[in-house]
Amino acid sequence: MYKKITKGDFKCPEYFPSVATKLLSRILDPNPFSRITLAKPMNNNWFKKGFKQIDKPPILEQEQDKSPCSVFNIVDDSDVESSSGHKEQSSSTMKPTCLNAFDIISLSPAFDLCSLFEKDKSCRSDARFTTQNSASTIVSRLQEVASMRSFKVKKKNRTVKMQRSKEGRKGKLAIDAEIFEITLAFHVVEVKKKSGRTAEYRKFCDQGLKPSLNDRVWTWKGNEQ
Amino acid sequence: MGCFHSKISRHSTPGYEEPTVLAAETAFTVSEVEALYELFKKISSSIIDDGLIHKEEFQLAIFKNQNRRNLFADRIFDLFDFKHNGVIEFGEFVRSLSIFHPNAPLADKIAFAFRLYDLRQTGYIEREELKEMVLALLNESDLVLSDDLVEMIVDKTFDEADKKSDGKIDQDEWKEFVSKNPSLLKNMTLPYLKDITLAFPSFVISSEVEDLEVQAHANTR
Repeated sequence: MYKKITKGDFKCPEYFPSVATKLLSRILDPNPFSRITLAKPMNNNWFKKGFKQIDKPPILEQEQDKSPCSVFNIVDDSDVESSSGHKEQSSSTMKPTCLNAFDIISLSPAFDLCSLFEKDKSCRSDARFTTQNSASTIVSRLQEVASMRSFKVKKKNRTVKMQRSKEGRKGKLAIDAEIFEITLAFHVVEVKKKSGRTAEYRKFCDQGLKPSLNDRVWTWKGNEQ
Repeated sequence: MGCFHSKISRHSTPGYEEPTVLAAETAFTVSEVEALYELFKKISSSIIDDGLIHKEEFQLAIFKNQNRRNLFADRIFDLFDFKHNGVIEFGEFVRSLSIFHPNAPLADKIAFAFRLYDLRQTGYIEREELKEMVLALLNESDLVLSDDLVEMIVDKTFDEADKKSDGKIDQDEWKEFVSKNPSLLKNMTLPYLKDITLAFPSFVISSEVEDLEVQAHANTR
């Protein structure tokens, strides 16, 4: 069967209209140079019948149902609640997930077996860094950086969601920064690109996020320093 | 690279198992096993071209650095190498990766994670082992936490997991702990494995499996 696929050897049922058969044979052409391009079927009458242009779906909200554990309930965490005079009152609802010892261990890049499959590290768009700031400081710094670059910011559970208002080549650049607590003054932040161009995302991280959070450790997941 | 030549070299490699056999006994389809063979070939020939994955080749694949030593990578390598002959053979590779498949049974993932963390393979995760792993992680990430803080983190985790309070976590306690903290198993699933045939389309050319066998296996999924 594989040999047939590579040769483009297939048969359409007899009830297929000839227009469809012709179009299919141009699409299933094994030669990439003579194969029909994406734009051409759009003009084909048979193809257009009943065709509906789908608008890009809105960025789906990630439902992460991690119940915050109480690893450090022995420590007074009222500091997290009181923000130091920032405009956004909702920072008090940002309760980061506490990491237990096994969570911490699983941060190791050795467990990221996806590396076995990926050729080029520069395509990775995940970053993880640690910071010795409190959760509220992290949130407010992220907000500052985001608003300076015309990003809309939304906070949900333990994640700061940022989305650029301007439409880029691959849609609007959207970035999530999820905060995990090791201790009240020690956090791990995972930054992920949700949509948009990777180059723009990396520029945002290098020129915006990194200088603002001013931390010693910043690694792209799995990368050596 | 003629088909005849690769037929000989494939089957003479120790630990090679037929894709149809592996597909029947793992979460993968025949095509997926064939695609995994392409990946296996790539990794196993990166330093020593003998159809086997050596520790350095594994380290090279994960860290892009063959000399990078890492406690966790060692544990994963040891678990993949279930024959304990110091190398990962193709059969071991597929059977181990199968545990990371999204469709693999949860019980297998839970058991694998337990063995991973049971550093000295005593059948229990001892407190010292947990502390050792936390320290290893902090060390490899260049993070410094005071010993008191590390003790506190380990204590709190142990209190939650070690219900029998005997200083070690057994398999039952682990299962219960994981059911309360499912995020602990997130490393045990690689969604990418479902699209492995797209990542290595060249398996089509070197495939030895007859069409009927491919279809038969596809029908059972």
